[in-house]
Amino acid sequence: MIEKFSFLAPDMDGSEPRELALLSIISQSFFQPFSLQDNLLVIMTALTSGSGVGFNRAMLFLKEGDRLRGEMWLGPRSAEEAGMIWEVLSTPGIGYVEIIEHNRALVNKSEDTLSARLKGLVYAADDEGALVPAAAAVRKEILHVRGAANDPLVDRRFLNLIGVEEFVCIPLVARDEVVGEIVLDNAITRTPILPADIKLAGICGLMAGNYIYSANLHRKLLDVEKMAAMGEMAMFVTHQLRNPIVAIGGFTDQLLQPNVPEEKRARNLAIIRDEIRRLEDIIFQMGHFLKVSMKEPVYFEPGPAIAAVLENPGVLARSGGYAMNVRLDPCPPEVLCDPTSFGEVLRNLLDNAFDATEAGGTISVRTYRKSPTAFVLSVRDSGRGMSNPDKGQLFKPFFTTKEKGMGLGLPFIKRVMDTCGGKIEVRSRAGAGSLFKLIFVSRERESKP
Amino acid sequence: MKKRILLVEDEKPLCLLYEEELSREGYEVTAVTDAEAALAKLGQAEFDLIITDIRMPGKNGIDLITQIMGLRKDIPIIINSAYQSYKEDFMTWAADAYVVKSSSLDELKARIRQLLGE
Repeated sequence: MIEKFSFLAPDMDGSEPRELALLSIISQSFFQPFSLQDNLLVIMTALTSGSGVGFNRAMLFLKEGDRLRGEMWLGPRSAEEAGMIWEVLSTPGIGYVEIIEHNRALVNKSEDTLSARLKGLVYAADDEGALVPAAAAVRKEILHVRGAANDPLVDRRFLNLIGVEEFVCIPLVARDEVVGEIVLDNAITRTPILPADIKLAGICGLMAGNYIYSANLHRKLLDVEKMAAMGEMAMFVTHQLRNPIVAIGGFTDQLLQPNVPEEKRARNLAIIRDEIRRLEDIIFQMGHFLKVSMKEPVYFEPGPAIAAVLENPGVLARSGGYAMNVRLDPCPPEVLCDPTSFGEVLRNLLDNAFDATEAGGTISVRTYRKSPTAFVLSVRDSGRGMSNPDKGQLFKPFFTTKEKGMGLGLPFIKRVMDTCGGKIEVRSRAGAGSLFKLIFVSRERESKP
Repeated sequence: MKKRILLVEDEKPLCLLYEEELSREGYEVTAVTDAEAALAKLGQAEFDLIITDIRMPGKNGIDLITQIMGLRKDIPIIINSAYQSYKEDFMTWAADAYVVKSSSLDELKARIRQLLGE
């Protein structure tokens, strides 16, 4: 007998050792398309939620260059607030996803007060004589501090901020490099910090350190890729701009010659006008592609965005010549994406389908659930399809099989899907049409009263 | 007798411009928009000079030059590209001249005259 288990274990029922529960919470978060900020929040949540280590409060410092800077504060500000929070978090059936949602709100709430004050704390990350809390990161050692008020090695500004005698500092280290530090305390319950808690927090620190390290590496890699793409883009733009400019200049020179026949004059002006429009189009597309920063994905109901694209006058005008086969999920789940980018993605897919298909062909648009957490938007055309070598280059900027294309539509789609943790599947055969399937992370809509 | 030029240029407005301007200079111009069509024309007629773009759909200008060199080494070739940077690429050295596209056709015309010994 073969039994299958999911990586994404259901929420723990409390019978597991708390170490396992904690590691499960953190590992599961790495499966989610969360931002670095959210993943760090998960780790902080694991350290402070009852099903994890159960510290009262956690403070995160991140290393930026040679500085260690306060970044995020998680935990109640008073015993009263703690009571309210713990009541919510101990609700039966509440899972880690809900806890994270709750904590995100909490972090944002304390943004103006505690987090702001924490962000004001900056230490040199390489100063051998650094005071606590920075000392833990500098020496790459876990430090358990008791009787902080009487210890001259503790920074007073930090002490004034946290206002407790006992806390533990966990350096976040990966490959012998310090990437940050987490400080944990039991300010509300005043329960002593036990060696077992410190050991477990240390393991969380290692995971957090490695996560931050790989996120930093990923960011650097993206920068390198961006630079390479910029070089290629500069070259491509030279070509794209030079051709119409040469045509405009050349045909204008002809107009300046004496005795130009009326017919030729009209023809040249028409060419010049068309080439100027082409330049405008190139500039528009470049501007669109160069919007470097993608907006943070959010969960939203995709129905209205899809309808808006399908009813767009430009799309309606183009779809007239085709058999349009539209089958949409009448009650779609919420999908994770920036809503504007979502609409632009569909528009791009439709434009590609129209470009690749002769009038009279069929274009199908479908949406459906692939699983409880995956929602598919697909566009199929009966057009000319692609050969294998073309498929390999599809998402490379400036690759195009179109006579007048810029080759920026699919790279844009890929960027959007990368940003929201989605996937793209392409099926295509030369002469037999193409199918583009976009798989978005989704969740069921909350039932409204 | 008029000297015959084979022009390979995928941009239709440029094709038209070069065709008209070079005809005005007294050349007989045959214009095609891709490399395959150029090879076909070379098989059908004699040419005194070839002008080709580099970036074109299908086979690019450099592949075209490589193929022409295998067939006919005697026809002078001018690369006419929008890319300045390809000039440093050794793959383009097989051509007899490299002219970056410009709205003034003076340099192109000068190179043609030079290569045709006029």
